[in-house]
Amino acid sequence: MRRSDGGARGALLAAVARTVPWRAVGAGAVVGLLIVGLPRLLSATPDAWLGLTLLRAAALVFALGLAFLLDDPARRLTTPVPTRRWVRSGLRVALVAPVAALWWTAAVALVPAPGRPPVGAVTLEAAATAVLAVAAAAVAVRFTDEPEPGPSVAAGFLTLGLLAPLLLPARWDLFVAVGDPNWQAAHMRWAVLLAAAALLGAACTVEPVRGFRLRPAT
Amino acid sequence: MTATVSASGLHLRYGGTRALDDVSLRLTPGVTGLLGPNGAGKTTLLRVLATAVPADRGSFTVLGHDPGSSHGRQEVRRSLGYLPQSPGLQPDFSAFEFVDYVAILKELSDRTARHREVRRVLEEVDLGDVRAKRIKKLSGGMRQRVALAAALVGDPGFLVLDEPTVGLDPEQRMRFRELIAQAGEGRTVLLSTHQTEDVAMLCHRVLVMARGRILFEGTPAELTARAAGRVWSSTERAPGAKAGWRTGTGSFRNVGDPPAGADLLEPTLEDGYLLTLDDVDAEVATA
Repeated sequence: MRRSDGGARGALLAAVARTVPWRAVGAGAVVGLLIVGLPRLLSATPDAWLGLTLLRAAALVFALGLAFLLDDPARRLTTPVPTRRWVRSGLRVALVAPVAALWWTAAVALVPAPGRPPVGAVTLEAAATAVLAVAAAAVAVRFTDEPEPGPSVAAGFLTLGLLAPLLLPARWDLFVAVGDPNWQAAHMRWAVLLAAAALLGAACTVEPVRGFRLRPAT
Repeated sequence: MTATVSASGLHLRYGGTRALDDVSLRLTPGVTGLLGPNGAGKTTLLRVLATAVPADRGSFTVLGHDPGSSHGRQEVRRSLGYLPQSPGLQPDFSAFEFVDYVAILKELSDRTARHREVRRVLEEVDLGDVRAKRIKKLSGGMRQRVALAAALVGDPGFLVLDEPTVGLDPEQRMRFRELIAQAGEGRTVLLSTHQTEDVAMLCHRVLVMARGRILFEGTPAELTARAAGRVWSSTERAPGAKAGWRTGTGSFRNVGDPPAGADLLEPTLEDGYLLTLDDVDAEVATA
């Protein structure tokens, strides 16, 4: 009966899918779509600045939902199981990733073409924002005993998201306007941020063994 | 008897606090009780033995597996059932779905056999009739039994229970005692509790912890014997007693160093436990 094989992977995927906090993710997605859909609802045509701002706001709101992704009310009970944490966390990310991609496609499509910023660049910003939120959740799981750190992570992430445009020095600016001479450089920084967040998140899903590597007690 | 779980020189610090300070122990099949005041390090010890947190130093083995490597830790986890304090469950799952979820995480792969096992443990904890009910609709005692069923699923050889009877009413506690006693037949159970009665009724061995250290390791009878000749009755609270309280009969039951000619009483496990803690406090004060 015991030990995972190919047949068990489907059961694991289905079980993990049920533990994903879909409500929080869904709420972020719905509010995000409402934000980018606002001009259409008001029959207005956004300019490039407004289109970019709405997409950035939507990405931030969606990321707030993702801050709950690794919440697990049963975490204390399920910590010492043979299925490793990186597998469980990775499955959650894998389950949400296609949903996020579809959502972002819809969000971009909702912004009327004249006000739509360069899709590749703004998608990079959205991806970095999303991955940063998940990485923050992974850090919380790695370094705290809290089963549901989502609210704290989301609050911290929202504060960071609101303060970053105000506090970042000009040479590190991430939130530049379309046509700004720093647009290219800013998106290099977004790419670095995305990579760093992904590495941090991945590192935090691995449970440390080092403490179990034994040194003789003195 | 051969030890199934043994630890040597476990150390763990949280900031400036020594949560575990050179803890060594040997557990054999049956139920071993772990007593200690709040902050003694009981939960930390259980979490270390359950591989939920790594120790800073020291070694331990569980059923011959050494969690010093990733592979060894996996093997320990395959032998383990863990019921933490405030376990937390998935409230929207039914009891069956939740235990099945844990069984999947415990790598029970064959669906038919796994479902049979989930039904077995739910029957064992007397939840067979409500297995389809959502966890959020179950009482506190029932939720605790769902968590116990999740710990028992897969028939682990080492069961770690952290204050499983907290918050349960007397009837539920009695039911839990039966379940723990049953679980202790043929496997090693480490039971952390504040309830000395639970230890007296269930355990073949007892550990007493305080300040991150094991102060006592022996049988419940040996712990009780520590209070022999140190419990007495008086009409007024004895001034030299470490603890004393008026009983239902109106006389005082005192624990400590009795005066000459005192009316000695039969000690209980709780008396032995209190005096063990008190002796250590006195040693610390002297030092």
